[in-house]
Amino acid sequence: MMTDCRCFHKGLAVADDRACVALSCQTCYFGLANPRKMIEFYHVYMQYIKSQYALVDLCLSIEKGEFVFLTGASGAGKTTLLKLIYKAQTPVKGQILIDSVNINMIPKKSLYQLRRKIGIIFQDFKLLPRKTIFENVAIPLVIRGTKKNTILKKVNEALSLVGLTHRRNYFPLHISGGEQQRVAIARAIVSDPKIMIADEPTGNLDTELSIEILRIFERINAAGITIIIATHDKNLLRMFSKRTLRLEKGRMVQDEPTGELA
Amino acid sequence: MKLIRQAFANCLQNLVRNKLINVLSLAIIVFTLLIFSIFNFLTYSIERFSAQFSDDIRVIFYFKSDIPRENIDRLYRQIESHILVKSLHFKSRDQALSDFAREFPELNFILSEFDASPFPSSLEVIFNSPGDSRVTTDQIMNFIQDIEQNNIIDSRQINLEWVRRLTSLKKFISSVGFFLSVILIFISLFIIYNVIKINILYRRDEIDILKLVGATDFYIRFPFIIEGAFLGFLGSLFSIGLLMLLLWIFPHLSPVVSNIIDNIVIAATPPFYIIRNVILLGTGIGIFSSFLSIRQFMKE
Repeated sequence: MMTDCRCFHKGLAVADDRACVALSCQTCYFGLANPRKMIEFYHVYMQYIKSQYALVDLCLSIEKGEFVFLTGASGAGKTTLLKLIYKAQTPVKGQILIDSVNINMIPKKSLYQLRRKIGIIFQDFKLLPRKTIFENVAIPLVIRGTKKNTILKKVNEALSLVGLTHRRNYFPLHISGGEQQRVAIARAIVSDPKIMIADEPTGNLDTELSIEILRIFERINAAGITIIIATHDKNLLRMFSKRTLRLEKGRMVQDEPTGELA
Repeated sequence: MKLIRQAFANCLQNLVRNKLINVLSLAIIVFTLLIFSIFNFLTYSIERFSAQFSDDIRVIFYFKSDIPRENIDRLYRQIESHILVKSLHFKSRDQALSDFAREFPELNFILSEFDASPFPSSLEVIFNSPGDSRVTTDQIMNFIQDIEQNNIIDSRQINLEWVRRLTSLKKFISSVGFFLSVILIFISLFIIYNVIKINILYRRDEIDILKLVGATDFYIRFPFIIEGAFLGFLGSLFSIGLLMLLLWIFPHLSPVVSNIIDNIVIAATPPFYIIRNVILLGTGIGIFSSFLSIRQFMKE
């Protein structure tokens, strides 16, 4: 079945038959790497301490351009799942494919190639306080060695998308929490990622600002970028009717395509 | 180019931001390299000083009186063919007499008292320089002792002892210098290692963000390696400057001692090879220790 295996031809991570054999799971309904899929989890287990699993036998599939909410109580495994996607953690068992690449096989020195496909947003924004808004947003482009003119153009575009062009020369500590989160979104979007991951992006914001932030995510999603947002805000889940995955004690307990969770 | 520019900008920023810790570490690096350069310079000076002497290593063998010329010729050929010998010159009794008469005309009245020349015939041997790696002062000394065994030799006159003493002094200074330098280099390595580690911890958030947005390991490491190299380089420049200042200021501070060693410390500035070695060593220490420091951090 090697002809069906796109990841084999990509060459970055899966370069031998073993990984492909592992992926053609007989019990799981997922098959070999699917070009329509952006994120695929195959029987993923994760544990931080020996006696306790953070994720148990997790199988999921997210298509390209999908908008997905990830919900569950604190400690359910939302952040762990997100960390597995950008390989801040490695599963103890199972396979994960991102854009048809088996990320378990990516060597540490090539990890940056995966990270460049993903824009990551955190609840605490993770902005550099000594750099201006413009400089913060420009970081992903600067590390790629992008030309100055292109940086200027793309950063301005990203800032205009989040409505912060007028704050470009401010420092993070001089703007509000909602604005800081928009800067973080601009930083995540500026390098045209394929996936955007947001871990409780509205956790520190009031409802009005949260809705505003979610609207920005919707606009970004409309451009074809796959979006996964971890949140436990039920109002937002109700308001934005999207596919919702619910985790409970590390297990996937519900996968609701319209967001109407029980 | 862009990366190098950025790395230098970051490096200067860090130096200014952590002034105290950087100044302290720089001081220790300067001290280390100063000790290294002082010992190197001393070794160099003694080498030059002893080279002056060693150009002159010569021995004069005086023959017993009434030795047949054939015996002297045989010894002449034996010495002439030896690898240590640069040149040799035989002086007969009559030649010695006429040389004396020429050099000290006022003493000619003494010579008139003698029927024959009162001077012994002699053989002056000039040796190759001990600076030549094939030749050592010990070899020369052994050779002279061998020749002395010959029963036609009455006595000898030699200037080798000074050279031997200087050579052993040079060896001693080199060993002490090497020993001290090795210890201080390890201390410097340890200090730069920790300074860079502090800078890394200070910029941990930035590094984490860089990792998350897809910076390569090299992109993250490079500025810290440049920082270490810059600290080492700056330290080496300061230590050379201090050495030059010491060489300049020393005669003014202590004229008496300075007069004594004035002949030994010939050069007023250190030679190029010492400057080059100090800069290479300083920069090398900086690069190596920062490399170790960031490597450990990237592993975590």
